[in-house]
This record gives sequence, structure tokens and C-alpha cells, in this order.
Amino acid sequence: MSTFKLEIVATDKIFFSGDAEFVTLPALDGEMGIMPEHDTMVVAVKAGELRYTVNGTVNDCAVGDGFAEILGDRVTVICDFAEHDFDIDVMRAESAKERAEERIKAKRSQIEYVHSQAALARAMARLKVTSKMKQNR
Amino acid sequence: MASMQEIRQRINSVKDTMKITNAMYLISSSKLRKARSGRDATAPYFDTLQATINDILVRTPELSEEGLFENRDQKNKIKRCFIVVSSDKGLAGAYNHNVFKLVDEKIADADENVDPVNTIILVGHMGLTYFKGREDVEIDEEHIYPCTDPKMFRAREIAENVIERFTADEFDEIYVVYTKMINSMYFEPKIMRILPLTRGMFEDAPELDQDLKEPVFSPSPEEVLQHIVPNYVKGLIFGAIVESFACEQSARMTAMDNATTNAKDMIDELSLIYNRVRQAAITQEITEIVSGAQSTN
Repeated sequence: MSTFKLEIVATDKIFFSGDAEFVTLPALDGEMGIMPEHDTMVVAVKAGELRYTVNGTVNDCAVGDGFAEILGDRVTVICDFAEHDFDIDVMRAESAKERAEERIKAKRSQIEYVHSQAALARAMARLKVTSKMKQNR
Repeated sequence: MASMQEIRQRINSVKDTMKITNAMYLISSSKLRKARSGRDATAPYFDTLQATINDILVRTPELSEEGLFENRDQKNKIKRCFIVVSSDKGLAGAYNHNVFKLVDEKIADADENVDPVNTIILVGHMGLTYFKGREDVEIDEEHIYPCTDPKMFRAREIAENVIERFTADEFDEIYVVYTKMINSMYFEPKIMRILPLTRGMFEDAPELDQDLKEPVFSPSPEEVLQHIVPNYVKGLIFGAIVESFACEQSARMTAMDNATTNAKDMIDELSLIYNRVRQAAITQEITEIVSGAQSTN
């Protein structure tokens, strides 16, 4: 099967670098699948679930805000964070979600609202990936 | 020649100073280890971010959006903003001064025909004493950010602050001044323009070998840039702070190591003088006793 070079770079590490067959990105307007030989493209990525296939195995992970550049045989994803489903601390994500929700309810200034919303999106992205992992078990 | 007591006091005071510099050396060397690993972890992100943005810029010649991308019309007044990353504490050798010197150079080299307004946003408190009270710069004293323990949320705060003021036309150009680590012993202050984005602004970016095909923006160029630009500004600021922080620790370590060595040399020298003075005193005493004994005979 044909592959392309996938690189997922988070702020604290190179999360993945290698050949992949398929990748699904959480784009602004919904999920977007990318296969080899894709047209040159720049995609805005929002906090959500990213899946990439290597040797037929699908890897599930949560990513933060960022963007992706697709250049024929090379896909570069640059995002705030990237975590595998099995690495996510569910308790922490849960409590972060609750905190963010509470802050949104309190709704102070506009900037704080935007911050809380972003925090909520990050927590939701992590939880979404882990909840799916549980179902698969 | 100074008296014995004076020299002893001097030796003790040098010893006390040496204790402090030695302790600071140890502290900064352990902090450096942490800062270095943080820096090594962020470096790929920092580099890839610059390379990718550069790539997008080179591929899309006619990008202009919401004033975040386009070069503003050359007016006779240019408002520049410098985000200066220095340290919160001194005693780091020339580390802070090198950064400030670079800012000074950049301020001085403005076009003669335009009237520049320079605003400085400080990351690290050391800049305050240096830039305060000067007529050619204005310090944003409401926003002085600490530089110790670099965190993403702080970079986000700074990014939001500058982007908001950039869109509000308060700034025409935004630069970040930081220290780049070339290797563990050698750093270099660097100035980098963050906004507006133009082609060729990243001098370090690698050459492109692929054909220059214009990318498709999904969902739309406006939306993508609206999303990417704040992300990019935040990432760049974060990378710059992390990089500088590691350099600061390293600079402090070297400076304190030098200070400790100097103190040791000084103590050696003073001990020598002290012994000489002591010996002279003893000799004199013996001579006095001998001559006293002779005269009584």
C-alpha cells in the first residue's frame, strides 16, 4: 500500500514521525481524511480526535489547536498538544472539563470566556478519544 | 602595607561572596538541566512552525488578510513593538545586556524619513531598569511578564495582547528579541519579526526543493489564517521564551563559575600577602627581643 510521510509535532515533542497510509484530521468544518497523493493544502486543525493508520493499524490520539500542511508525499501537523488514547489522564481531563464548564457558566469577561471555551475543547478532545478506547475493549 | 587584621577581614568577605556565587552556580546548573530538556523538547516544534509558515508564505504570493498579513502602507509614522525576552534576575554575565544592545541597534536603525514609535513589552524584569526613563522607547508597564518557568498559557496571554493591539492599529510591526542557543557554550541574541508576515522573513528556514504549487486552504483562506496566525504567534513567543530561559541558566552558570574561580584566585593572593605580613611581624618581634636582650647585657 502506498504511504506518505506523516509528522505530528506538538509543543513538547515530536509526537509521530514516519510513514502512514491514512490520516484523519479534526478540521474546522468537520473531520477530514487524507490519503497519499493528496493535493497541496493548508488545513486549520481544531482540538479533537486525530487518527492515523500505519501498517493497517489505526492509532487514535487527541490533538490541540493547530494546523496542517499537506504537500504531496508529506503531511506536517503542528498542534498545541498530542496524546495517545492510552496516555491520557482521564481524571485530569474530567476535572479540567468540569472547571472549564463552571467558568463558562460564571461567564466573566469575553476573554475569559474564550479561554474557558478553549480549555473545554481540549478536555473534550481528550475525553472523546479515551471513551472510545473503553468501548473497544 | 595593610595590617593583618585588615587582610583577614578581606579574606573573610571574599569567602562569603564565594559561598554565594558557588551556591548560585550549583542552583543554576541544576535548573539548566531542566531548562535544557524543556528546550530540546520544544525545539522541533519551534523549527517546524517557522519552516511551515515560511513554506506557506512562499507558496502563496498574494496573501493578505485582515491586516495580519499585509504590510501596512508606508506612512510617515511607524509603530513598532518589541517583545524583549530577558531575565528576572541579574548575575548572568552579559546575557541581558546582549539582548538590550540588539534592541538598541534595531531602534537606532529606523528609516530617517519615518518617525518611529517604539513600544517595549517585557518578558523578564531586568529590562525595566534598562529601558525605564528613556525617551525613545515606551515601556508597556501594565504587561510585564515573568520569564521563569516558561508556560504555554503565558505565551498565549502575550500573543493575545499583541494581536489585539496589532489589529487595532496600535502596532505596525511586531518583533521578538530573544537569545538563541547555538550550542551549550555559545548563544546569540536574535531579533525576529512576527507580524506582519512577509515572504523571506525567516532567514534560517530551509530552502524548498519541491515545486511551488499553491496550496488550497480548507475551509477558506480567511478562516485558516484567522486560526493559524494566533496559533503561530503564540508558538513563536513560547519557543523564544523557552530558548531564552535555557540560555539564561547557562549564562548564569558560566558567570557564577567564573566568579567562584576569581574569588579563589583572590583568596590565594590575599593569603600570600597575609602570610608575608605575618612573617614580617614575627621577624620584627624577634629582632626587637634580640636587640632588647643585647642592650641589657
